[in-house]
Amino acid sequence: MIIVRSRRLALGVTLMVSALVTVPVGIPASASTPVKAATAQDPKILRIGVTQAVDSLNPFISITRTGTDILRSQFEFLTTYSQGSMTPEGTLAEKWETSDDKLTWKFHFRKDVKWSDGEPVTAKDAAFTFNKMLDDEVARTANGSYVAQWESVEATDDQTLVIKTKVPQATMEALDIPIVPEHIWSKLADIGAEATYPMVGSGPYYITEFKEAQFTKMKANKNYWRGAPKIDELHFIYYRNADAAVTALQSGQIDLVNRLTPQQFDALKNDPNVALNNAQNRRFNEIVINPGAATNDGTPIGDGNPALKDVKLRQAIAQAIDSKTLVDKVWGGYATEGAGYIPPVFADFAWQPSGKQVRKFDLDAANKALDAAGYKKKGDDGIRLDKTGKPMNFRLLAHAEANLDETAGPFVKGWLKDIGIGITLEPVSDDQVNEDTTRGDFDLAFSGWNANPDPDYVLSLQTCANRPNAEGKGGTPDSFLCDKTYDNLYKKQLSEFDRDKRIDLVKQMQSRLYDQATTVILGYDNALEAYNKKAFEGFPLQPADKGVIMNQQGYWGYYGATPAGEGPVPVYGENGENTATGDGTTEAAADDGGNTGLILGIVGGVIVILLIGGLLVMRGRRKTAEDRE
Amino acid sequence: MTTPSPRALAWRRRGAAFAAGWREFAKQRTGLVGLGVLVVIVLLALLAPVLTDQENLDVTKATGGRMESPSWEFLLGTDRAGRSVLLLTLWSARISLTVGLVATLISVAIGTVIGILAAHFGRWVSAGLMRVTDFFLVLPSLVLAIALSSVLERGVGTIILAIGLTSWPAAARLVRAQTLTIEARPYIERSKALGGGHFHVISKHVLPAVAPLVFVNTTLAVGSAIVSESTLSFLGLGDPDPMRPSWGSMLRSAWLDSAMIAGAWWYLLPPGIAIGIVVLAFTMCGRALESVLNPRLREG
Amino acid sequence: MSDILIPTEEALAEVPPPTRGGGTVRYVLTKIGGGLISFALVIVLGFLLFRALPGNVIATMTRGRPATPEMIAQLEDEYGLNDSLWQQFLTYVGNLLHGDLGNSYIFRVPVLQKIEERLWPTVLLVGVATLISVALGLWLGTRSGWRRGSRFDRVSTGVALTLWSTPTFWLGMLLLAGTTGLFPTAGLVYSDTPPDFFSQAVDMAHHLVLPTITLVAVTYAQYQLVMRSSLIEEMGADYLTTARAKGLRDDQVRRKHAVPNALLPTVTLVFLHLGFVIAGAITTETVFSWPGLGLLTYDALRVHDLPLLQGTFVVLAGAVIFMNVIADLLYRVLDPRVRAS
Repeated sequence: MIIVRSRRLALGVTLMVSALVTVPVGIPASASTPVKAATAQDPKILRIGVTQAVDSLNPFISITRTGTDILRSQFEFLTTYSQGSMTPEGTLAEKWETSDDKLTWKFHFRKDVKWSDGEPVTAKDAAFTFNKMLDDEVARTANGSYVAQWESVEATDDQTLVIKTKVPQATMEALDIPIVPEHIWSKLADIGAEATYPMVGSGPYYITEFKEAQFTKMKANKNYWRGAPKIDELHFIYYRNADAAVTALQSGQIDLVNRLTPQQFDALKNDPNVALNNAQNRRFNEIVINPGAATNDGTPIGDGNPALKDVKLRQAIAQAIDSKTLVDKVWGGYATEGAGYIPPVFADFAWQPSGKQVRKFDLDAANKALDAAGYKKKGDDGIRLDKTGKPMNFRLLAHAEANLDETAGPFVKGWLKDIGIGITLEPVSDDQVNEDTTRGDFDLAFSGWNANPDPDYVLSLQTCANRPNAEGKGGTPDSFLCDKTYDNLYKKQLSEFDRDKRIDLVKQMQSRLYDQATTVILGYDNALEAYNKKAFEGFPLQPADKGVIMNQQGYWGYYGATPAGEGPVPVYGENGENTATGDGTTEAAADDGGNTGLILGIVGGVIVILLIGGLLVMRGRRKTAEDRE
Repeated sequence: MTTPSPRALAWRRRGAAFAAGWREFAKQRTGLVGLGVLVVIVLLALLAPVLTDQENLDVTKATGGRMESPSWEFLLGTDRAGRSVLLLTLWSARISLTVGLVATLISVAIGTVIGILAAHFGRWVSAGLMRVTDFFLVLPSLVLAIALSSVLERGVGTIILAIGLTSWPAAARLVRAQTLTIEARPYIERSKALGGGHFHVISKHVLPAVAPLVFVNTTLAVGSAIVSESTLSFLGLGDPDPMRPSWGSMLRSAWLDSAMIAGAWWYLLPPGIAIGIVVLAFTMCGRALESVLNPRLREG
Repeated sequence: MSDILIPTEEALAEVPPPTRGGGTVRYVLTKIGGGLISFALVIVLGFLLFRALPGNVIATMTRGRPATPEMIAQLEDEYGLNDSLWQQFLTYVGNLLHGDLGNSYIFRVPVLQKIEERLWPTVLLVGVATLISVALGLWLGTRSGWRRGSRFDRVSTGVALTLWSTPTFWLGMLLLAGTTGLFPTAGLVYSDTPPDFFSQAVDMAHHLVLPTITLVAVTYAQYQLVMRSSLIEEMGADYLTTARAKGLRDDQVRRKHAVPNALLPTVTLVFLHLGFVIAGAITTETVFSWPGLGLLTYDALRVHDLPLLQGTFVVLAGAVIFMNVIADLLYRVLDPRVRAS
């Protein structure tokens, strides 16, 4: 039994013990109600967790997904994609027409659209933006591909914009270029300089603060021409560690998060506060096989293994990859099995192989096919020899830390080993993958693209013309395919205005691609998102049926964000007006009274108490020691 | 009766010293425990191909479900692809231990050579070498290791090189200090007076005297090298071959597969615990060895 | 990158031999001169190392966007990539002396600006963690060294060794998993904290807790063990026996004599280990999304952003060198053998 003589010592010990007791009791009590307090006066904030850092918030420079997503809410384009069906609808441009030769486009601007500082938005702002891009190459960094074939841009008056192009350009109805206010940006000496905040914009929100690698804050634009959004602020918060973002969602630190992995998605299934969105995505994932990379005039480039020029070898490789297993193991079932080049979300253009053309996953058949093609197996390690007698070991280029690449890589390696082909996995940075694939320095590589409602862009990736020029620039090659049949079909569909005929041509192209096997479609993964349903009623999805909330081709998800109790969630028609009626409201979130402050107070208090207690104990003991002397 | 040759005498003396040292070492309980643990783990690692089939590391052959919790079939549960975590942990020991040992041997070798040279030759050589040593000591070695790993091809060899090239300064300083002490002793002077050249003095006198300290240093350094390997693998610089896992790459997979969120403690804990146990064992051995050399540090 | 538990011999071997007072000026100049030479080496090494990184730097910059041959030529000219290596080096050093570290490829802003933005979160994290580690390590080391063999000694040494043996990032992940919801999982402050100083400071402290605990847990062991060993060494010294014989209390003997003398190797250690602590900061910042210099370095390495890499490398290494020079100078001041003379 310890007899404590010193009062100080006793006080110290008591404080420490009481602190240690309070903590386990106090903190869980306040942490069990994770919804952040929201009184009537507090601004309504939507806090979004993003796992990709913003490179820049200058609309002429930014190319990251996160950056462009933010800028889409900041600046209107001439047109946007509707919420329901993802067709172009006018925003700044109310209507437009084109000449018979399709080389002259006239856009008629909507009246009464204002910048967030009150100034009117006119055609002159658009003319300034586009002309800047034509004159200054720095301004072409992000979206230069749209204006590459333009001849001139002119605002004939405040409400009319005339653009002349050198060749007919299909994308004129959907120019994804942020229009900036001339009265502010014309004063900048360097168009690529960092923006100043708050940033004047024409979209539903404008950026007020940007702390790199931390967060971006946006405020609602009260002057927005469609009407101000329901919420007051939009915060994009950066998480280097994706799990940290999910944990933050679970504990109410953020409200919305996307790009979940299947594990994270499943882990959130049982959380009563979280609503999940399993959305069909417009992305296809593939492995490209180097069929002999060359520049657009036919000069070979890169160090791809020449054995892969044989289409039979490529077909055997394609047959040895099981999309069904990948859907299950890589995407946890949240994906669709691979088939044609165009993702099934675009039901019209999507294609499936049938009959004799189908290449089912079959290792035996692949082995037989390789035997028949003359690729003998060596003795010991079972690796086949190519036609020149060298063992076939190929490199598989992968994006490090990407869910697909990291998980599917070992499967592909295992399957190909069983048909006698050695694979070395090469996970490298995203930039390295881009570089190596552009230079043709690869054998196999993971790749993938987001398709648009109009399939022209992704189809063009596989044409001969898409290969880079002699300096290695001028194209974003995918698989370096150069096939006459494919190219002819491409030209035909580009100028085919009969939709059904065009669909048929596109399907023929996909069939050709399937046979050429320079790309192996692995699957179409879904977009997995989650949000706090106690804090938010919901968000407009795009497309309206099974669509996504974030990274839309538009801003509907953010614009129509509806806090709990303020329903119904808007549904925007083909002209952008809200057509939702009725009373789809849930209970408003209970008011919890600032529990974060409570936690902080307890933590801070405990630390202080421990420190004081510790000091007292130390001094008490010394005193006692001295007393004893 | 023939008198044993001087060399035989020397070896006999060394043998007796070794036996005495071992007795002293055996008196320390912690050292024995550490040694025992290490022996068990090394045996398990070496016998892995005999006890289990490496083919089961192939994801296409995995039989378990995704991240199943431990059961009788999978004692430590499964990973994301359905492979046994126990199997992974066992096979990872081979890579982690190999990297740790080889990297340390390289760093100690470099450090010993530089330390001895710096102490032996003194003046300009010493100043120059010590400047280089201080420079490498002061450099944020993780940054240097990452940079090296991104220049060279990814894999086990690069990691070994990166760790070896950045860990030698500590050994160098240690060996230099010890060599200075040794060379101040009279018998070295005598040897030099008798005409012993640099090589003779170093190989016959300095090296044997420095050896015990180097041995202690090595033991302690292996633990640190294993942790370094796990850090570099975690950051994505290790061997991407799924058939050759290491504890660090297992932790990386657990990280990427959201084991934390999924509550898959069996996926997250074993590699870290394994690292902790092995490093602790090496450290305990090292400290016991250290007190064999330095009586004042002995317990009790 | 962790380092070894330095045996006491080595720790004590780092003590520079005491010299008479007149050598102070020469000592200071030598140390500062040495630091400058090391820094120059850092610059050269940094330049060579990162220039050797694979990849076409222009390709990295123009990443996937169509770039005309004229654009490429102009960029190559702008970044001096057509000059010889020697010429590039001279330009680099020249710019460095003007404080111009170039522009980051990804962020399109001056490297110096990026470093300034990210510097102080790392300083905060490393500084707080070091202070706590040193205090904790010294206190534990003193107590366990003084009462050698006691249960306290064995338990605290065991705990220290165990924590030192675990990888930093793993500890961080466990902490995150174990404290779900209690602490913020990422960043410096919440985005919706009121902007007044007090709220921001409290919020930042809240965010600092987990990363600091992680960093402290793996660094304090070194200090504890060295303090313990050097205290044990000291306790065998003659002058202490004399002091005790003269009737001084244990407590006073410890406080006034043994501890200050045993402090010296530990002090040197603190500065020497800054490089190691910075390495720990890189992994900690990754796990906790702490927007500091460590994370910047790692991310720059992943995308081969050369100017940014060279900049952070120079700054980090320079800081450590600077700290070491300070340590050497401080040593001179603290060494009782010099003060006594």
